[in-house]
Amino acid sequence: MKKLFELEKIKTLSYPAFKTLMIIHFLLFFLVILVVSRVHFTIPGFSVKGLYQFPNIWAFFPWVASWFNLFLAIVVILLVGNEFSFRTFRQNVIDGLSRNDLIGGKLILVLVIAIYTFIMVLLAVLIFGLIYTKDLSFEIIFKNSYLILIYFIQAIGYMTMGVLVAMIFRNNALSIIIFILYFAIIEPIIRLFFKAEVRRFFPMKIISNLTPMPEFLTLASEKKYTSASGGSYLDLTEMGLLPENLSLATTLLLAVGYIGFFIALSTVLINRRNL
Amino acid sequence: MEKVLQINNLSKNYGNLQAVKDISFTVNKGEVYGILGPNGSGKTTTLAVILGVLEANGGSYQWFNEPFTKLARRRIGSLVETPNFYPYLSLWENLKIVAKIKDAPESDINYALGVANLLKRKHTKFGHLSLGMKQRMSMASVLIGNPEVLVLDEPTNGLDPEGFAEVRNIIQSQAKEGKTIILASHILDEVEKVCSHVAILKSGELIANGKVGELLSSDETVYIQAENMDGLVAALNESTLVKDAKIIDDEVVVVLGGDVKSTDLSKYCFEKGFALSKIVVKKQSLEDQFLKLVK
Repeated sequence: MKKLFELEKIKTLSYPAFKTLMIIHFLLFFLVILVVSRVHFTIPGFSVKGLYQFPNIWAFFPWVASWFNLFLAIVVILLVGNEFSFRTFRQNVIDGLSRNDLIGGKLILVLVIAIYTFIMVLLAVLIFGLIYTKDLSFEIIFKNSYLILIYFIQAIGYMTMGVLVAMIFRNNALSIIIFILYFAIIEPIIRLFFKAEVRRFFPMKIISNLTPMPEFLTLASEKKYTSASGGSYLDLTEMGLLPENLSLATTLLLAVGYIGFFIALSTVLINRRNL
Repeated sequence: MEKVLQINNLSKNYGNLQAVKDISFTVNKGEVYGILGPNGSGKTTTLAVILGVLEANGGSYQWFNEPFTKLARRRIGSLVETPNFYPYLSLWENLKIVAKIKDAPESDINYALGVANLLKRKHTKFGHLSLGMKQRMSMASVLIGNPEVLVLDEPTNGLDPEGFAEVRNIIQSQAKEGKTIILASHILDEVEKVCSHVAILKSGELIANGKVGELLSSDETVYIQAENMDGLVAALNESTLVKDAKIIDDEVVVVLGGDVKSTDLSKYCFEKGFALSKIVVKKQSLEDQFLKLVK
């Protein structure tokens, strides 16, 4: 375990694309929360400042951070894809690692990146929450704090799917394109062919629903907008912007199940295919 | 003799193409075992299978008389096909990865870079090296962890004559230390100079194997010229001294039998009334034997 961690550390920390993408990820997250904190608009019953106060901030910051999970998945795809492009997985096995060590190393990498992003969001929550919340109490500070753990699981979900896609396609460009297409187009289209009660069980749907738009934002908006003609409407739930009616516990359980499935399939692939 | 590698009826297919067909051979401790064959004969595939990066479709292999575990892998230093390293890492960082995998001390890194004459380049990124230097870097990586066995696939690929000689010296010095070396190559001179044993592959099949000395026939080949070449060939083919005689270009190529010497041939020709204007004797090389086998 320690050896795999140290190997991944050498492979990853000197990789220029890794450093660049992680810096972009960090900057984008803080840019969004800083910019939004400067926005002033009022809707009856809602204020932007409220988003930065405990306990709302526990839902708002992970939701913002979840927009950038795609970056983390791309980082992981690059790091796994490189091993195939440079044929270093092959060399690592020749030198003495087992095939399970190869997948183990990448899962450690996923875990470390997830811990990094978890800490980044946690520190941001604590700093901004303490600044913006007036009436602080232990209960208010930690109410809904579990939501950041759910964000942690979500980050792992995206990245393990990245590992799987890279294991299948073994090519950085192709894997990234397929991953983004699956996330943005393929799965949403496939979902259209299924009934509503089945649609919500698809992997990206489940994983992205772990950090839905915070409820206090949905209160400030209508769930359904009537179109100009008045005949149809836009359903924000259908668009994935509002939570599905699955409970959080069920969604979490299913997400963990999908993560297990992605890891198991990646392990089977690395063990069955030639390197 | 202690067996290092035992291959039994090994087969490997790529779709419908049978790259390795039912091959078996054994490598014992201390041997320098050459695997010879033209391009596409299955040398690299055989090595990739026995090193665990390709799955065999049939047969089996054993290293050190036991199943091939990752501990067994660490007793082997291998270079298969092209050098495979992280281009954005320095030579030192790349070898640190190898040392960590093999549980070898970091002091091995400087030693290996020194042997491969790359110590001054240790902070250079692997991607910035020339092809020859990359090949030498592979040799350095093979030496990490002081392995008992070296498996080298075309180790002199891309090297200039100086690099070629350096790699050959490394192989010979490792052999002198008593290490077992398995060397796949299509450079016959390389194998003949370095190896004690050889296996010859053709289209995935093992067509010959054994000690290099045994594989090389003791027969001498003699190139002669005379005025009546047809008469000379007819007379030679009647003789029990000669295994084969035929005209090639403007000379008669004669393969002498077992203990027959060129002087016996000269005497025989004189007795039959042929005055030889040229007589050149050549011992059969591994190249001659190889070409005879693979054609």
